[in-house]
Amino acid sequence: MILVIGGAFQGKYTFAFEELGIKDGWADGDFCRFHEIYECRAIHHFHDYVKRALEDHYDLSKLVPNLLEKNPDICILTNEMGYGVVPTDAFERELRDRLGSICIELAENSDVVYRMICGIPTIIKEKADRT
Amino acid sequence: MVHLVTGGSGSGKSAYAEEQVLQLGEGRRIYLATMQVNDEESVLRVAKHREMRKEKTFETIERTDTLENLEIPDDSIVLLECVSNLLANEMFMPGKSGIHAVSAVIDGIEHIQRHARHLVIVTNEVFSSGVAYGGMTRVYLEFLGIINQHLGRTADMVTEVVFGIPIPVKRPGEGIIRQNRLFHEVAAK
Repeated sequence: MILVIGGAFQGKYTFAFEELGIKDGWADGDFCRFHEIYECRAIHHFHDYVKRALEDHYDLSKLVPNLLEKNPDICILTNEMGYGVVPTDAFERELRDRLGSICIELAENSDVVYRMICGIPTIIKEKADRT
Repeated sequence: MVHLVTGGSGSGKSAYAEEQVLQLGEGRRIYLATMQVNDEESVLRVAKHREMRKEKTFETIERTDTLENLEIPDDSIVLLECVSNLLANEMFMPGKSGIHAVSAVIDGIEHIQRHARHLVIVTNEVFSSGVAYGGMTRVYLEFLGIINQHLGRTADMVTEVVFGIPIPVKRPGEGIIRQNRLFHEVAAK
């Protein structure tokens, strides 16, 4: 599993497409069907996937264990959402908390976590056996 | 040498950028200020930044837009502060580049790069609030993201400043930076 994170408009998709070489097999969290995450090679706008899942009451409690079982090599691109003022809207607060806790679980299970800033990736985590 | 410095507001990125200019050696140091000064808050902000630059022998040029026509002394060391103001001016000031602001900003910065010996560019991290902005704010964020990505690709160095601490993002001659290892390398010393 690979995680690519960063603020909005930091070049996450360009990096995954050009540098990680993921040219096809993409799902878009903004509009894909929920089960597509188990079949795709990579998903971008994962934060929108989580948002829609919360809106539709789609069960996310087993998302990470299910991914590890069914699609362990997936590459996930997500915005970081937690750097603003805590929103007054309850749903927006729930979204940030859920996205955060899911991404903590994803990061724990990722072989490598890239963080994008100004179009440049840095590695902020990698498994010890990875060179 | 082009060094892109980014960070949140109040992160200490300006002071870090000024230090970087001083470390680039002797030469004509030019502080290129892009903020519009039109109210009390901006006057105070300018005073604060001028105080910080005292003793650092900078000449100040105030220029809110259209950098591609600016006369920059050859071989100078320029600090551009900052891309987020420059973009806002280009986009929202009447009669400026508006929807063509991305190329106006990039062309202007490349013009300075051609003349200056060194250029330190300050930009801004405003992309991680998670707020789904609409209208022109969204366009502004997308434009700033595109410009930052372009500057990041073309710069020799990129640094993110967090509470005054410089976090290396890109260094000349190095590949992808492993921030996880930096910590262990420092801890091991």
